[in-house]
Amino acid sequence: MAQQTTTPTIQLKGVSKFFGNIIALKDVSFKAHKGQVTALLGDNGAGKSTLIKVLSGVHIPDEGDILIDGIPTTFKTPRDAAVLGIGTVYQDLALQPLMSVTRNFFLGREISKGVFLDMNRMNEITRTEMAKLGIDVADPTQPIGTMSGGQRQTLAIARAIYFGAKVLILDEPTSALGQKQQLEVLRTVNQVREMNEIAIIFITHNDMHARLIGDRYTFLNRGRVLADGDRDEIDMDNLRALMAGGAELAELESEFQNTST
Amino acid sequence: MSGTDERIRQVGLVQSFVARPELGSVFGLAIIVITFMIMTSISGTFSAMWTNPIGIQAWVELAAFVGILAIGASLLMIAGEFDLSIGANIALAGHSFALLLIFGVPVAPAILLTFVELAFLGFIIGVIVVRTGLPSFIVTLGFWFASRGFAVFLSQTLLNQSRLSVKPQLKAPAGGGEDPTIIDNLFAFDKGFGLPFDAEVYYFAILVIMVALMLQKSRFGNWIYAAGGDPTAARAVGVPVNRVKISLFMLSACLACLLGVLTVMTSGASDPKAGDFRELHAIAAAVIGGCALTGGYGSVIGAVLGAFIFAIASRGINFVPFIDNNMFRVMLGLLILGAAFLNQFLRNRVLKG
Repeated sequence: MAQQTTTPTIQLKGVSKFFGNIIALKDVSFKAHKGQVTALLGDNGAGKSTLIKVLSGVHIPDEGDILIDGIPTTFKTPRDAAVLGIGTVYQDLALQPLMSVTRNFFLGREISKGVFLDMNRMNEITRTEMAKLGIDVADPTQPIGTMSGGQRQTLAIARAIYFGAKVLILDEPTSALGQKQQLEVLRTVNQVREMNEIAIIFITHNDMHARLIGDRYTFLNRGRVLADGDRDEIDMDNLRALMAGGAELAELESEFQNTST
Repeated sequence: MSGTDERIRQVGLVQSFVARPELGSVFGLAIIVITFMIMTSISGTFSAMWTNPIGIQAWVELAAFVGILAIGASLLMIAGEFDLSIGANIALAGHSFALLLIFGVPVAPAILLTFVELAFLGFIIGVIVVRTGLPSFIVTLGFWFASRGFAVFLSQTLLNQSRLSVKPQLKAPAGGGEDPTIIDNLFAFDKGFGLPFDAEVYYFAILVIMVALMLQKSRFGNWIYAAGGDPTAARAVGVPVNRVKISLFMLSACLACLLGVLTVMTSGASDPKAGDFRELHAIAAAVIGGCALTGGYGSVIGAVLGAFIFAIASRGINFVPFIDNNMFRVMLGLLILGAAFLNQFLRNRVLKG
């Protein structure tokens, strides 16, 4: 599964980002390969959000390089990043609950035939693209308010892929969902991995999900990379401790045990 | 893993029909028409209202007047905005047009200049709403006072009159001239196409078809829904939300301008009270027609049906002598409440599937 000899689809080298005197990211190196899920882990304030924003062109890094397919690149706007194939699916998904599945899929990038929208063609593409991710949309004209949270996530992912994402950034895709729907989303992510064309960056708080789906792991703590490596290089039992920022959990554990005895 | 069964339910024909935003107004129109047919039958005025050309003209022309404004009001409401200034803008347009005529500008350029003025006003309103983030209700409330105030101020200062007569500057039919130009024919014809209606009815018919097609079938229409449904989400996928909203405020002002110019062309005068309260009638029509005040949902066809409901109730009351005229307002109030309630119910049904 892991082919480390190939060039990473996206790679950061020594990236730093400062906001005034705050060091949001310092000397962060990070890579993601196609056909792999790179889990990006870390506590609140670890710099995950800043890193996503650097990857998707919202923030311009103060130091370091971004390489796409090995070629150094700069994004000045999110649009630059999107053109180069960075598809970001944010937590709120950017969907319109009262609009139909198809209209959501194509919003902002509609297909027209002459003056009017080509609804038949758009319905057909929506159905095909959703089917690729294992969801059979019987009626793409129904409002997405009727779909489950997991299905909406799939719609947002399918849309990003259809419009040319080579790198798919999923910002906590499971955090707002119920247990069953979380598994539905993990299935979808797995489907994308099996296409073997797209590098997936999976941001999560949930060590169980990270363990299930991750091929590579990058741990952030206080703006720096705490640990980084493939599945077989990381101590999987220590995942939770690494996510919480290293030894802090162990300290707390011993602290509690000391107070209780 | 796939499978139609649990993931997506089939939606039947009845369900899709219930999902249409204008459903409530279809029922409303049916109820209003039947009610007034029964009441006029009792009063012996059935033919006066429903078959006599003058009777039909009375409510169709009102429906067209309110309906033209409701087209703009419903689009704005779907985009999540309000325009209270449209009624006042009719007076501003009428007065601007009349003043231009009085100061010697020929009819065609005067019409053009008036449209430019009102489009610019709509642009300013839109920019203020989009840039300041103030509710459009407040911004256009400001213009509700300012537009009419400015119109009357201008005519008072320049001519010391508040009502401006332009009969001498106009030809047929308002001015009684012998030789109407194309422009006169275009803006002031009546009884055209063998039907007993003034020009606004034909403009209304054309506009409804164009705007309804635009809203349902064009990319701009898609963006209107998105701008009102969730502007942040719409921006995230590249919809130019601000541009959409500003264009709709411009359209709304231009529709008011059309009515202002048509009124002057047909009546030969500009009245400072022209269009008074029409903004509320247009908003009522949009609400009855199924537009959600929170944006993202509604239809132009619904608003048009709403305008007909308003007009039939409004004019019909004159054909039913046993009901007090003031009761009309009570009825209309209940109608708006009932429609809003029904529409909310239907909208929730859409989301539940």
